[in-house]
Amino acid sequence: MASNTKSAILAQHRANADLNTPLLPQVARDDSDLAADGMCAPLDERIIAAASAALENGQTHYVDVPGIGPLRAAVADYLKSVAGAHYRAGNVVITAGVQESRFLSIQMIGVQYDSIALPAVVHPGVRKALGVRGRNPRTMPVDPAQGYLPSIDAIVQAAADGCRLFYLESPSRLSGAAYAADEVAAISQIIADNDAAVIWDQGLASWVEGAYASAAALDSDCARAAVIGEAYSGMGLASWFVGYIAAPEAWVSSMQSQKQIMAICTSTASQYAALEAGQLYTEARGRQLSRLARLRTDLLGAAGEAGLTVVGGEAVNIIALKLSEDNMKKISRAGIDFAAGSLFGAPDVIRLNVNHSTAAALTALN
Amino acid sequence: MSKKKKAGTSLLYQLIGEARGYDDVIIMGRGDPDFDTPPHIVAAAKDAMIHHHNDYTPPQGLLPLRQAIAERVKRVNNIDVDPESEVVVTNGGQEALFLMVLAVTSPGDEMIVPEPNYNTYADSLAFAGGVKVEVQTYAETDFRADPQDVREAITDKTRSLLLVSPNNPAASVIAPTDMAEMLDIAIEHDLMILADDIYDLFVYDDFQHVSPASLPGGKERALTLNALSKAYSMTGWRLGWIVGPADLMARVTELKAAVSGGASVISQYAGIAALTGPQDAVEMMAEAYRRRRRMVLDALDEMGMKYGMPQGGQFVFADIGFTGLDSAEVAQRILTEQHVLAYPGSAFSKDRKDYLRMTFLQPEDQLMEGLERMKVAMDNIMAEKK
Ligand SMILES: Cc1ncc(COP(=O)(O)O)c(C=O)c1O
Repeated sequence: MASNTKSAILAQHRANADLNTPLLPQVARDDSDLAADGMCAPLDERIIAAASAALENGQTHYVDVPGIGPLRAAVADYLKSVAGAHYRAGNVVITAGVQESRFLSIQMIGVQYDSIALPAVVHPGVRKALGVRGRNPRTMPVDPAQGYLPSIDAIVQAAADGCRLFYLESPSRLSGAAYAADEVAAISQIIADNDAAVIWDQGLASWVEGAYASAAALDSDCARAAVIGEAYSGMGLASWFVGYIAAPEAWVSSMQSQKQIMAICTSTASQYAALEAGQLYTEARGRQLSRLARLRTDLLGAAGEAGLTVVGGEAVNIIALKLSEDNMKKISRAGIDFAAGSLFGAPDVIRLNVNHSTAAALTALN
Repeated sequence: MSKKKKAGTSLLYQLIGEARGYDDVIIMGRGDPDFDTPPHIVAAAKDAMIHHHNDYTPPQGLLPLRQAIAERVKRVNNIDVDPESEVVVTNGGQEALFLMVLAVTSPGDEMIVPEPNYNTYADSLAFAGGVKVEVQTYAETDFRADPQDVREAITDKTRSLLLVSPNNPAASVIAPTDMAEMLDIAIEHDLMILADDIYDLFVYDDFQHVSPASLPGGKERALTLNALSKAYSMTGWRLGWIVGPADLMARVTELKAAVSGGASVISQYAGIAALTGPQDAVEMMAEAYRRRRRMVLDALDEMGMKYGMPQGGQFVFADIGFTGLDSAEVAQRILTEQHVLAYPGSAFSKDRKDYLRMTFLQPEDQLMEGLERMKVAMDNIMAEKK
């Protein structure tokens, strides 16, 4: 017998465009897949040894909701080193990946504010997380010349319109463009002046070669900024789903309660693997960064020669291109897996991962 | 800080925190089996770290795992599902529960919940803006949820019915005739069913577990969750699932992607090994729980405590009303004086201040010691009363 109740649920579901936003794969299938959020990377034997040892020694039980203590401390230290943040272990929640970080922060910090201001171009996971339970999003226009980040003026305007919670990505998940130090200082000032708060996705900060400026660095009392990201990108853990949120303690306690409700804790194997990855990270990251930076410089050259418009960005693991309609058709027909800017809100842009196959993708546009 | 004012999860956090401070504590609180995960499952995880650590997983989970789940729910629960479109892998039973509640609840919708029940249902329902409509169950009738009471609780806002069998904390199992009637009611009033089968391998004496989705007309309106946590001692791996009709599961898949994106591939490969590998460890553990349950019941009988007969699950919900004290206070005293952690009934339901939940998820010598210490604490409480 057909169910009207179910039909009503399904009709409502179909109408929820945000919830139905497609996500990008969490990891590339192989090097020819240029669409994924995370990269295929070798896993150091020491990480395997550490995670296996933990399991063999009986770390197969529930652990603390916000994460195992040493990993929370390691993430706090890591955030201090890459972003000059002031968080301590107690400010950190270990999540089952960056999408859980988005969901928990947007929903649980969001519930304390009337609305949330989002960049018009943002990772599709943000709209998806909002689609579960609407939080009255307000869109901030973005500047294509600034790598699709909202300009300072756009943020000022959102604050003037009464918005008190901001969601910002730096680097942008589409272009890799990051705010400069003076812009971050201006944003922090707007946040403080308006008694506002910011959720700052800095997952791609690991891929910025030079100095990186984070809103967390300017939040010296840990009162207004929550930062989120994946733990130790590039260490071969993309499919282990481990991410973090670092936030003021009051927010941590509400996110921790919600984490208990929706997951109890994060997989122990993933946490012990991340703990070891953290120890190896500084050295491994240095090597990867210079390799990717070289590759990307070559790609920029090739793109220039092919007359393609590259969207400026600082993250060396991705390259974003603004394409003509013709080129958009060409690349789609060439069977290349790319991240479509339309998922982010920029239909004429594509994002490609930087690796040894990227150059071949560019030749499809020649 | 007043300890009495605390309720629900925060009270549990406080007790767990205190328990950690005692070297000789005996934990009869948290539902975490004392057995470690069987070694062949750990070995499979290690193998996955070497060979599959970069595998892409779609939000609904790896297909081989979904196939193993489909085979399992067919074999154990007699539910037919298509692994391609009717299974979603989750981060434990807890995420499955959260997603199921979100999947069927819009703000203002009512869900009928037999009480007492696993408190996360109320929390998830609150997140979704739903309304819990309680149907009480009682120790005297072994916490049987009476279909007639369910019928009477239905309003024009009722959208779903929660059936956790075996139940946590009450340990009652919904009898096949009652389950059939629950389904009839759901069909008659066009309600969705949320079935939580997480304890389905732990059913005692002659009691029988039935999944509503296995009955005619059940599958199309039921979402059924399960997890590897309890049966395989895999609480730390965070692996569970939901099965249901393809149309609703499409919604569950989007919710899963929105909430957490996917599940760790290492845990997923471990899950495949658990479901498709040797099952003797599961049987060994189930046998141990049977023995321990008997020990606990004997000890409670000796203390003169009343309880609903635990027909399934891994715990006993015992009546401590005779002490004249609130269960939060009794749990606190047992912990502070005797270093035994049991969960107060008030953590499960505001109306169960007279109960304690005791798990039998610890080695037999510890369990015995815990019960003896508990008896000392109870004797002290009663002596003071006189
Ligand atoms: C009835 C019930 N459902 C779901 C869960 C969640 O279990 P897990 O997330 O550990 O698989 C529990 C845990 O105690 C439970 O008792």
